[in-house]
Amino acid sequence: MDPLALLRGVLGTAEDAARALIGRERLRLAVTGLSRAGKTVFLTSLIANLLAAGRGARTLPALSEAAGGRIRRVFVVPADTETVPRFDPEAHLAALAADPPRWPERTEDFSTLAIALDVQRRTSLGGLLPERRVTLDLIDYPGEWLLDLPLLGTGYAAWSAETLARLERGSRAAAAAAFLDFVKGLPPEAPAEDALARRGYALYRDALRACRDTHGLRFLQPGRFLNPGPRGEAPLLWFFPLPATARGGLAALCARRYAAYLEDQRATFLDPFFTRFHRQVVLVDVLGALHAGQEAFEDTAEALAAIAGVISGATRVERLLGAAPTRVAFAATKADHVPSRARDALAALLAHLAQGARGRAEASGAATAFHALAAIRCTEDAVATLEGQNVAAVRGVLLQEGRAATIYPGEVPMRPPDPAFWQAGFFRMPEFRPPRLDPSGAAGVPHLGLDALLAWLFGDAL
Amino acid sequence: MSGAPPPRIILDEAPGPARRLDFGWDQAVAPAAPPSGRGWSSLALAAAGAGVLILGFALLDAANFVAAQFARGTAPGLVTLAVAAAGFGLLGVALLREARGYLALRGVDRARAAHARGDVAALRREIAAWAERLPPGRVSLGALDEMPMDALSALVEAKLLAPLAQEAAALGRAAALQAFAVTAVSPSPGLDAAIFAWRGVRLVRQVAALHGLRPGLAGTLALLKRVAVDAGAVAATDVAVDAVVRGLLSSPLAEHVAGEAAAAAVAARRMILLARAADEACRILPRPR
Repeated sequence: MDPLALLRGVLGTAEDAARALIGRERLRLAVTGLSRAGKTVFLTSLIANLLAAGRGARTLPALSEAAGGRIRRVFVVPADTETVPRFDPEAHLAALAADPPRWPERTEDFSTLAIALDVQRRTSLGGLLPERRVTLDLIDYPGEWLLDLPLLGTGYAAWSAETLARLERGSRAAAAAAFLDFVKGLPPEAPAEDALARRGYALYRDALRACRDTHGLRFLQPGRFLNPGPRGEAPLLWFFPLPATARGGLAALCARRYAAYLEDQRATFLDPFFTRFHRQVVLVDVLGALHAGQEAFEDTAEALAAIAGVISGATRVERLLGAAPTRVAFAATKADHVPSRARDALAALLAHLAQGARGRAEASGAATAFHALAAIRCTEDAVATLEGQNVAAVRGVLLQEGRAATIYPGEVPMRPPDPAFWQAGFFRMPEFRPPRLDPSGAAGVPHLGLDALLAWLFGDAL
Repeated sequence: MSGAPPPRIILDEAPGPARRLDFGWDQAVAPAAPPSGRGWSSLALAAAGAGVLILGFALLDAANFVAAQFARGTAPGLVTLAVAAAGFGLLGVALLREARGYLALRGVDRARAAHARGDVAALRREIAAWAERLPPGRVSLGALDEMPMDALSALVEAKLLAPLAQEAAALGRAAALQAFAVTAVSPSPGLDAAIFAWRGVRLVRQVAALHGLRPGLAGTLALLKRVAVDAGAVAATDVAVDAVVRGLLSSPLAEHVAGEAAAAAVAARRMILLARAADEACRILPRPR
């Protein structure tokens, strides 16, 4: 821990203590998740349902119970930073309620929002004393960028070796064939030519995209290659992994850009937003990983462990300073895509999938829990008859076609499945239309299990 | 897949687009209706009964008296009728004014309820009606149509409620000065209390008038009840400060220097608090955080 970070940590701890003393706590909630895990929808639902609960609606009964019914008001706090865009739950909600509805687009930039909960004090004189105000700091960002966190402790040579070795395995090899051919064709003394760097970058980026979109893989680095963000594909990104035998100017150029890229990500993304958290929720599309096959499933587990190792793996000093999350909730999103009886299995499977991540979080002193949730519930339980037998299924309206359909999502095992399971092949779960929603969000949005998750995550702080 | 059928999608046979699912969420999460509280208390029933008896018998007596006067002659009958009509007319006007003052307070409740449940259309109506009741000379709110809830609240706060709060505070300071002066020089503690109570009620009515509420007796009583509730919330933050002020001013040294002025200062401070509580009770929207 460098001295500057230590000083920031000490100041942060002092601020937390002062805020607690005057009943104005600030709770930084890290909503982490790989790309397409549902962070934006989760935040939209969380905000809409909290605001509705603040108006007395019973949208989050478990949280309300955890708080002893003492939540008096919930409101959005004006932003105290002008440079970061504001997360716009109203726009997301309006798009979901529109006809035809639209799910949020892929997140391409940061946005933040702070939401305050005024709660009556717990003491018997609580009605007479001023209310406490707990402010939740939320942030939305491209999930792909999260995988830059583990890169921070890795040098260019080590990253190149690991990445090239991984690219030669399994379905990655086919997706990255053109890139691997290009790298193998480069002479060891290749000069520092921008044209070469750019060509290598484009091939590597295309390989990453194919891995993500065709094979459902998630452990893909660096994050901005897949989602360049508002600054586009700047020359900073023109690098790619090279074998240890490469010693020319091109290798030096790629190493320099790799270091500059990490420094830029650290300065603009990681240091301002990912250094100090009180609570953390890790969203995982378990069902998507399960349907994408064994490799994607194991790849997701590996990516989760790598991220959790950085975010939750706090040092002793960080723990002492309160910079490490004290509660980490893992949530299997899109739980409405399986019938209600399979949701426990989904949470249990997540517990196995995130075993590495859980170990890191618990080692740094955080409590962990596993949940299955649907931030916006889009289906209802149904029964389908397949091959003469009745099976539990779900029923919803397909997003594209607008037609109602019954979906049998297959068996959801409670533990990592045996090899025979994977022979069913790749299944792409269709997207559903959201249910009828009030665009103003006055009654929140229908969800499954969001209240239980929030009650566990920060019910004790209310 | 270990014996289980593989995942699959079974499209409905019905052609054409299907309606979106409706879980009845709005009804399921609707806030629990508070107890209606519309029932009359025994005291209110007794008071209403007494009122009906007094007014009813007075009316009957007056009618009989007017009829008897007409039996004596047209001229005395007409004079008696005119006197009775004028008396009861004035009484009616007074009752009407009472009722309007009391109902205006209900308007504040309705606006706050609309704000709390996010009903922007109802809030716009209540705010427009309230703005019309305000004393002349206030800035106009302009067109409120199509304005979202947060913008509407911010506009009303900036244009009307914030200046009103400042004026209420000014009234509170003026009342505080008077209370300070009177209690410092008054000869007996009993008189202190009477003056303080009278000035307090007057202050509450002044603040209510600022907000376009012109409470009569019933309105004032209802307002005082609300102020008492809000004063709890407003004063809570000041309990500690109040204790310190009292401690400082009641200390032997301060007493030696200021004498009776110590108690007067505490009384004056309460007047300022009362103005804030009255403003809190009368404002059409909750105070922004």
